[in-house]
Amino acid sequence: MKNLKEKLGSQWLICDGGTGTFLQERGLGGGELPETWNLLHPEIVEELNREYFEAGADIVNTNTFGANRLKLGDSLEETVTAAVEIARKARHEAGRDDDGYVALDIGPTGKLLEPMGDLSFDRAVEIFAEIVRIGTDAGADLVLIETMSDGYESKAALLAAKENCSLPVIVTNVYDSNGRLLTGGTVETTVAMLEGLGADAVGLNCGLGPLQMIPVVKRLVSCASVPVVVNPNAGLPQVRGGKTYFDVGPEEFAEYMAQIAAMGVQVCGGCCGTTPEHIRLLAQSIKAMPFAAQTPKDICMVTSYSQGVEIGNRTVIIGERINPTGKKRFKQALRENDIDYILNEGLRQEDQGAHILDVNVGLPEIDEPEMMEKVVKALQGVTTLPLQIDTTDTAALERAMRIYNGKPMINSVNGKQEVIDSVMPLVAKYGGVLVSLVLDEDGIPDNADDRIRIAKKIYEAADRYGIPRKDIVIDGLCMTISSDTSSAAVTLETLRRVRDELHGKTILGVSNISFGLPARELINANFLTMAMQNGLSCAIMNPGNEPMMQAFYSANALLNKDTQCIDFIERYQSYVPFAKLGEISADTGSAPSDKETKPERGGAVAEAVRRGMKEGAAEETKKALKTTPSLKIIDNELIPALDDVGKGFEKGTVFLPQLLMSADAAKAAFEVIKASMQGSEQQIKAKVILATVKGDIHDIGKNIVKVMMENYGYQVIDLGKDVPPEVIVDTAIKEDIKLVGLSALMTTTVVSMEETIKLLREKKPDCKVAVGGAVMTQEYADAIGADFYGKDAMATVRYADSLFGG
Amino acid sequence: MISPDRTEIYRYLGYRGLSPDYAVDALIDDCIGKTEAVIRPASAVGYFDVVTAYEDAVQIGDMVIHSHSLYRNMRSCTRAAMFAATIGHGADMLIRRAELGSMLKASVMQAVGAAYVEALCDEVNEDIRRTAAEQGYSCKPRFSPGYGDLPLDLQRDFERLLSMRQRLGITLTDSLLMVPSKSVTAFVGMYRGEGEVCTDIRPCSDCDMHGRCSYSKDVDR
Repeated sequence: MKNLKEKLGSQWLICDGGTGTFLQERGLGGGELPETWNLLHPEIVEELNREYFEAGADIVNTNTFGANRLKLGDSLEETVTAAVEIARKARHEAGRDDDGYVALDIGPTGKLLEPMGDLSFDRAVEIFAEIVRIGTDAGADLVLIETMSDGYESKAALLAAKENCSLPVIVTNVYDSNGRLLTGGTVETTVAMLEGLGADAVGLNCGLGPLQMIPVVKRLVSCASVPVVVNPNAGLPQVRGGKTYFDVGPEEFAEYMAQIAAMGVQVCGGCCGTTPEHIRLLAQSIKAMPFAAQTPKDICMVTSYSQGVEIGNRTVIIGERINPTGKKRFKQALRENDIDYILNEGLRQEDQGAHILDVNVGLPEIDEPEMMEKVVKALQGVTTLPLQIDTTDTAALERAMRIYNGKPMINSVNGKQEVIDSVMPLVAKYGGVLVSLVLDEDGIPDNADDRIRIAKKIYEAADRYGIPRKDIVIDGLCMTISSDTSSAAVTLETLRRVRDELHGKTILGVSNISFGLPARELINANFLTMAMQNGLSCAIMNPGNEPMMQAFYSANALLNKDTQCIDFIERYQSYVPFAKLGEISADTGSAPSDKETKPERGGAVAEAVRRGMKEGAAEETKKALKTTPSLKIIDNELIPALDDVGKGFEKGTVFLPQLLMSADAAKAAFEVIKASMQGSEQQIKAKVILATVKGDIHDIGKNIVKVMMENYGYQVIDLGKDVPPEVIVDTAIKEDIKLVGLSALMTTTVVSMEETIKLLREKKPDCKVAVGGAVMTQEYADAIGADFYGKDAMATVRYADSLFGG
Repeated sequence: MISPDRTEIYRYLGYRGLSPDYAVDALIDDCIGKTEAVIRPASAVGYFDVVTAYEDAVQIGDMVIHSHSLYRNMRSCTRAAMFAATIGHGADMLIRRAELGSMLKASVMQAVGAAYVEALCDEVNEDIRRTAAEQGYSCKPRFSPGYGDLPLDLQRDFERLLSMRQRLGITLTDSLLMVPSKSVTAFVGMYRGEGEVCTDIRPCSDCDMHGRCSYSKDVDR
C-alpha cells in the first residue's frame, strides 16, 4: 500500500460523507449515541463504511465522532477498537486494501475549554490522547480531527495526535460564512496555528453547504501551505414535518465540488446529509480533473485565539511593559501573585496601540514556569492581542507554548548552539514565530558582517529543525550609543542587509539605543524612524511613550505604509504644535473645584472618593502624600469616605453603582499609597480568603466583595472561580486564615459550598465562613452551616470588622 | 438589531424605580456601544407535544419533567416551544476586562449583557407567539430551568434537542451553567384558544426568591 503521507497533497484524495442520516434510516434513535452501534449493530456500521469505499472514497472515517471518555466512559476502548476493525473489514470487503485508508475520526468533546468554559487544556489533551492511542493500536491509517468550532480544542486534539502517533493528521474546522469559528478565530489565524503545530492537511467541514463555502475556501487556499480539505454538508438544513434534511442532491453537489476542487483544493468529501451517491459522483468528476498541489505561502503570522498580526509588511509594535526589569512595583506584583496588576499593564498597552504584547515574568525568587502559565492564561482571557513569550527558562517557555491559544511569538533564540538545541525543538513542535538574536558563543559582534553570518547560521539551524524560514525574525541587536557611538550604524546596517540580502524580517528592543543618555525619548524616537526606513519589522517598545508613537505614525506615513495617511490623520488631527503648548497650559492652571459641596469628613481625597472620581482620588492622594503620612490619609480620608458611602448604601440612599464608583476611587487611591510605601511594612487587619465555589464560573459578586474588603484594609487571597473545596481548605491551613468568604450563583453550586464548609469545619475548625451570592438566603446559609450570610458586599465588610476589630 | 431595555439595566444595577445620575447613565451608553459591537446573537427553537395527565408532571416530547412550578405554568397546554438564545462570547470578555479596572464598569457591563440577552429572548418569544397564533395557540409566559423548582438538569435536554453546542455555540459546564454566560434556555407553553393574556412575562410572584430578591420588579415591597 502506498504511503498516505506521499499521496496527501500529490494526488486527489476523496473523503467519505455523512453518517447520521444513514444510521437514522436504519433505526438509530434521536437520543442514541451513534458510536454505540459499533458494538450493537456492527454489520450496519460496516455496510456504511463499505458503501463509501465502494463509492470511491479513499479515506473513510471510523464511527467514532463522539467517542470520548466523557461520553462513553469505560466502554471507550472497546467502542473505538471495534470501529477501526469494522472499517478495516469494510475496506477489505470493498476490495480497497491497496488504496483505501481508515481515518480515526475525532470530533469535539462537547465541552468548552478554559477560560471560557470549564475543561482545562491539559485535560482536553488527555481525552484526545486516549482516543488516538486506542485507534492507532487498532490499526487506523490516519487521524481526522473534524467539526471543531473552537481553535483551542483543535490545538488540544492535534497536539494529542502528534504526541501519541506518527500517522498523518488532518484537521478540519467549522467556519461560518464569514470565515469565523464560533469562538472567534478566522481562517487565517486557525491555519497559521495548525500549520505551526504540524497538521498534515487543514480544511473545513460541516456548518455550510458547498455553495456557501466557496468564499471561505478561497481564503483557505490563499493562506494554507499544506494540502486543503473541504467536506461540506449537502446544502443547508431544512426542517420539514419535524425532520431535518439537506437540500443539495448528488448531481448538484458534485458540480459544486468540482468548482471547489478547481480552486486549489487537494482533498474533497462530504459531511451531514451527503450519501454514498454524493461521494460516488463527486469522485467521478473530480478524479477526471487536473490536480494541482498546494503552494507554500510566505506569510509570517502571529495569532491570538481570534486575531492575527502579520509580520513583514508594516512595522508591528510589541508592547514591552509586562516585564519586571527595573520596575519595583511590577516585581512586587509578581511576588504577591497580583495577576490583576500584570493584566492591567497589558490592557493599557493594548489601548495605547500595541499590536502584540511581550510577556516576561522572570524573577529569581519565583517559580517562573508556573507564573508564566498563569499570566499567559489570564491574559488570554482578557485580551485579543497575540503574545510574545519572553523567557530564558525553557521549562517556562514550553509551559506557555503548550497552553497558548494561537501561534505565539517566541523571544528568543540566538546563535549559541546550546540555546538553538533547547529552543528550536519547542518551536518545531508547537509552532511560533521565533526572535533570533545575532550573538553567539563569542558574544555580540561589533560589525554587521559577523551579525549577518550568525543570522545565516540561525536560518540553517531552523532548516534542520523543520522550522520554516518565514517564521524567523532576526534581532539586529540594539547597543547604547553612549558607550560606542558607532553602534547604531552597525545595527541599522544589519537590519538593511537582513532585509535585502537574506530577505528576512527584523526586530529591535528600540529603547536600548539610548541607555545612559538624558532625554532618551528623543534618541529613541529618531532611531525608530531610521530603523523603520531600514526595514524594521517589529519594534519592541513602550506604546505609552508618545514621542516614539509619533515617530511610528510619521514614519509609516512617510514610507507609504499608511494609505492616504488615514492612521496618521486619525491620531493627530487635533495635535497641538509644540510652540502653542505653553499658552494652553497657562490657561488651565488650576483644576476646577466644586465649591458647593462642602466635605463632610476629611479633605480632598475623601471628597474624591465620596464622589467616585477615580483619577481625582489618585491625584489628590499623590498631592496629600507630600505633606501627610500615608496611614493618616487612610484613617482620616479614605476610611471615613468609604464609611459615608457604605452607610448610605445600607440605608438605601446610595445605590450599588455609586458604592462601586467610590470603591474604584478608593482602590485607585490605595494603589498610589501602595506604590509610595514600597518596601515598608503595610498594615493589614487580617488575611482572608475569597473564592467562588467549585462548579461556579461567574464571579463578579465575589470580585465586588474583594475590592471592598481590600479598601477596608484586608489582605485578600483571591482563589478565583470554580475552586475545589480542598484548595480552599489547604490554603486556609497554610496561611492560617480565620475568615473564608464563599460565593455561589446557582442552587446547584450551593452544594459545593456546603461541601467546602464541611471540610473546613473538619480540618480548620477555627475558621469562620461567610457566604453570599444570587440564590443565597439566610435560611440557606443556616442550612449549610455557614457562620454568616452577607446579603451584599458592605454586610460582609461589617462582619469581618466585627471579627477583626474594624 | 436587538436593543436592550434601559429600565431593565437600571433594575439589574439595583435602582428600584429610580434613574441613575448622569455619570452612570453615560457609562451605560458606553457599555451598550461596546457590547453592541461584539455580540453575535443566535437562537434555536423546537416545537413539541405536551401531556399533563398527572399532577406535577409534564411530558414534553420525550421528556417527563417532575415540577410543580412547570405544571402550574403548563397545566392547560398541549404544545410547547423550547428555545435557546445567546449573544455570544464577546460580552463575557468585556465583563472580564472591565473587572480589571473598575467594578462599577464590570457591573454595568454585566447588566447591559443581561439586558441584551433578555431583549433577544423577547424577540424569539415574539416569533414563537406568532407561529403559535398561526396554528391557533396562545402562549404562556416563558419558563426557564432553574426557575421555581424546575431542575437545571434539563439543560442537557435543551442541548440534545436543540443541538445548542453545534448550532449556537452554547456549551454546558459540569455544573450545568451555560457558556457564554449571556445565554438563556426556556420553555414556552402553548394552549388552544385565546384565554388569558399575560402582560408581564416573568411574574416575580411565581419565583422562589419572591420577597427576598434585590432585583424584584415589585418596587414597593
